[in-house]
Amino acid sequence: MQTLHVNGYDMAYLDLGAGPPLVCVHGTLGDFRTWSAVCGPLSSKHRVISVSLRHFFPEHWDGAGDDYRMAQHVADVIAFIARIEPKPIDLMGHSRGGHIAFRVAQQRPEWLRKLVLAEPGGDLDASLDPAPPAPSALGARIMASAEKVKAGDIDGALKNFFDGIEGDGAWARLPAAPKQQLRDNAFTLIGQVGENRRPYAKADAESIRTPTLFIGGAETRGALAAIHRVLAPHVAGSRTAMIAGTGHWMFQQAPQEFCRVVLEFLAAA
Amino acid sequence: MQTLHVNGYDMAYLDIGRGTPLVCVHGSLCDFRIWSPVLGPLTRKHRVIAVSLRHFFPEHWDGRDGSYSIAQHTADVIDFIEKLNAGPVDLMGHSRGGHVSFRVAQWRPDLLRKLILAEPGGELDPTLDPAAKPGAPSPLAARFAASAEKIAAGDIDGGLAFFMDALEGPGAWKRIPAAPKQLLRDNAMTLIGQVRDNRPPFSRADAEAIANPTLFIGGANTKGMLPQVLHTLAKHVKGSQIAMIPGTTHPMFEQAPQKYCEIVLDFLAG
Repeated sequence: MQTLHVNGYDMAYLDLGAGPPLVCVHGTLGDFRTWSAVCGPLSSKHRVISVSLRHFFPEHWDGAGDDYRMAQHVADVIAFIARIEPKPIDLMGHSRGGHIAFRVAQQRPEWLRKLVLAEPGGDLDASLDPAPPAPSALGARIMASAEKVKAGDIDGALKNFFDGIEGDGAWARLPAAPKQQLRDNAFTLIGQVGENRRPYAKADAESIRTPTLFIGGAETRGALAAIHRVLAPHVAGSRTAMIAGTGHWMFQQAPQEFCRVVLEFLAAA
Repeated sequence: MQTLHVNGYDMAYLDIGRGTPLVCVHGSLCDFRIWSPVLGPLTRKHRVIAVSLRHFFPEHWDGRDGSYSIAQHTADVIDFIEKLNAGPVDLMGHSRGGHVSFRVAQWRPDLLRKLILAEPGGELDPTLDPAAKPGAPSPLAARFAASAEKIAAGDIDGGLAFFMDALEGPGAWKRIPAAPKQLLRDNAMTLIGQVRDNRPPFSRADAEAIANPTLFIGGANTKGMLPQVLHTLAKHVKGSQIAMIPGTTHPMFEQAPQKYCEIVLDFLAG
């Protein structure tokens, strides 16, 4: 694959089409293939650059080492974008990749033209959610799944994680092909337990200067459905689009509608 | 993407992992992305190179200019392997890509180490099927032509539904999940090229000419011509092996990626 050497790591990426660059960042258990279903329509208008973050496939990582951190992935994406021309670029992130894209927008607004956050993951601090901070249910899931991966129960780990997001029985219903792509990244769950991610603060959201689209699945439940609703009112001028009949993987479940919404947002003056 | 310039065309490919190169050739309406579910296990042992044939995505083809045929795609894969300059490669093809791979093995066995044909597509001539009528159009040809007409007229989903239902039975298109559907849409215009392609059928002499160690792999539940073609060819390809994967149909490597990879890796290591 094509790679860029960033912060001492060869970061792989898929680079398709011609036009204004759109850098895409996958979420937990994803990789550059996560965006396959949308790279057709998107690459008819944009140069689509789909990265694999440090330690995700095509690397076959064993979970060792301490550089799977939110801050590391943010620094990697910043160093990656530094090498992409012409700037400013458009940046899109899904789930945990949405968290990364949000942090990149905080730190390098001058490099970004527009920002697309597809159900960004994370936690809310007291300035955004006055309820006393409860331990994150998803965090507990990830910890339990990481233990299963270490014990060799890859499918058990993935079922526990996936059903935690999409509801009981979701893993069993998932077709074999997307299942295998999650398996290929199972060991990253071990890293994610210690990723050290900070919660979002109101001041973080207010500091986003890039025109922002939040995009979600209308059927998503739990924290991932709540976070973008809380962030959006504090990101000046942001827009929100909900895609009917979809959950957290809304761009795989409704690729045409997702692309229509995203392309319209990116084309708008 | 990475590309190699072959026969005047920039052929895109994905290149992952280390080891003996395994070149993968997709079938009708597909592209390099179709191999996604097997890339993980296969790249643990091999350098996997998944190509997109001429006019398939990432090209956004209009179905008009250019050359689309088995002969062209076979010549392109031959030139691609030569330009890759990595010595003899293992070659794997699915469906129409299996037909292309068969022809590569027929013309240039020197470029290959082992050959994997996953339900290769094509017709049998009278030396392989006494019931075959030479020159008669395939029973599916009229439906494919109608699909291509719909697509040329701008009715992409209508054309694809007609095509998939003809292949896999009524309701097949509707049952495909949204993500794989979109990959087919991205390549819909290639059907326009495909109905113009007058590919020659397989003959007994063709099959007997295959000299590379060959694995035929199929879905145990696939219906129609494809299993017949597979078993007939296998009978005449010397020393070939057959593996049928229980509970799967034509896209068997998407339906059972772990089992598929286990069989393929065993064969390549043997």
